[in-house]
Amino acid sequence: MAGLARMAFAKLDESMDYTVRDSGDRRELELRGQLTFEADADFREILSGWEQGGIAECVLDLSAVDYMDSAGLGLLILANNAAKRAGIVFRMRHPRGQVRELIEISEFHTIIPCEF
Amino acid sequence: MTGCPSVVIGHPRPAAAGPLRDVLGRLGIGRVAVVGSDGLADAIADRESGKPQLLLLHAGLRGFGPELLAELRAEAHLHDVPILVLGRFAGGRQRGDLMRAGATDLLARPLTLAELSARLSLHLENRRLDRSLQEVIRSLRTYHHDAVQRMASAREMQLGLLPDATLRRSLEGRYGIVLDSHFESSSELGGDLWGARLLDDHRFALFLCDFTGHGVAAALNTFRLHALLARTDLPADDPAETLRALNGLLVGLLPEGQFAAMIYAVVDVAAERLVYATAGAPKPLIRRPGGGLEVGPSCGLPLGIAESVQYRNRSLGFPLGSSLLLFSDALYEARGWDGGMLGYDGLVDLVRGLGDDIPERPLGCLLDRYFATMPPLFADDLTVLWISRTGRPPPGPD
Repeated sequence: MAGLARMAFAKLDESMDYTVRDSGDRRELELRGQLTFEADADFREILSGWEQGGIAECVLDLSAVDYMDSAGLGLLILANNAAKRAGIVFRMRHPRGQVRELIEISEFHTIIPCEF
Repeated sequence: MTGCPSVVIGHPRPAAAGPLRDVLGRLGIGRVAVVGSDGLADAIADRESGKPQLLLLHAGLRGFGPELLAELRAEAHLHDVPILVLGRFAGGRQRGDLMRAGATDLLARPLTLAELSARLSLHLENRRLDRSLQEVIRSLRTYHHDAVQRMASAREMQLGLLPDATLRRSLEGRYGIVLDSHFESSSELGGDLWGARLLDDHRFALFLCDFTGHGVAAALNTFRLHALLARTDLPADDPAETLRALNGLLVGLLPEGQFAAMIYAVVDVAAERLVYATAGAPKPLIRRPGGGLEVGPSCGLPLGIAESVQYRNRSLGFPLGSSLLLFSDALYEARGWDGGMLGYDGLVDLVRGLGDDIPERPLGCLLDRYFATMPPLFADDLTVLWISRTGRPPPGPD
């Protein structure tokens, strides 16, 4: 895809993997699999990359996440707080099934903008 | 010499044991006792000061043989002390007999002093490592034992946060309900808490809270919440306002990324209504008098995440014969053997499967059916409450 810097990461563990796509100062982070406590270390690694600067906006694409639990919600809070600290506009996109239901029940879209 | 010698040498001619003593001295062993057959018993006697690190017995010692080795091994304080035998051995049978009787190693002569030094050094080092290992194991056992006792004590304290039998009987008798509950932590301590309180003659409040995570950290949060709920200035008869107030108290109190999902409900048996508010909690399930099942709505930001959150009250009819099922997310998020999540549909099927004539306290039956189809291992705490409006006090000691 023209003008798109793509960084593909190897599968991190059995529960979650992700792909980062940077386009200018906009980063798209596509998560796949399960967003649970098992993803904690990987997620924090993702967030540590934000501190290096150069990103103005980050979109978290949840369309390929098929399961998320309350620990996953906790990771979203960490991401939101990290984005605020780094001055990054952070939002979520396309949660499906149980993930969407959990976000709606927990009204996380009221603290993190979400495109359903 | 005071205390027990580090090495005891049993030698038929103690005066000739100088080279052995010299070798041990070069290995850093200064406390060496050289004794003949008559002095052996005294030298190895059990003493409060300790036991020898090693016994070196000359095969020419009067009375030496498998019987002597067996007797030494039978001494409780010598059962793990290396016993080396120095001498000339007639053949494999004799060697075998000595080893079976308790010898740790046989130092067959002829033997150079360098070889002797290397063999002794090896056994002394093994002995030191073994004693260090035993000390570590003893220390770990003590720590584990103490930790288990502390956790058991903490678990008792956590169970003490839940409504006791007196409160349950009071609720059941006063409001004509049956209250059935199941509380199970994934480890000794958990992050779930439920409770109830009497409001007035016709209303009581009920809540179920699930903190993120489990274990000690989550359990500490349940103690925090329990203390906050004891505050008298909470608007206990207004679920949404209660959650708003609790949220205001928990924000800033919980570490980043931790929060609580909670449902707070007020049952009014005179108005036959259930009013509840949720903060990220699972949807409640209501069983109607005719057996119909309804999944109530639920939405609201979990407690402790953001300030100034407003919550909404939901009102549902709750006539006689109705039941209310509240649960933590572990119940419906659990995955079956096929990997599929139970979900609300699965939960409705589970309750429907109880049939029309359900037991007065149905949770045992419900969970038996549940665990028959779901893997037994939970990575999360599980709390389930079943409240039935029977209109009569249940049979019991009161």
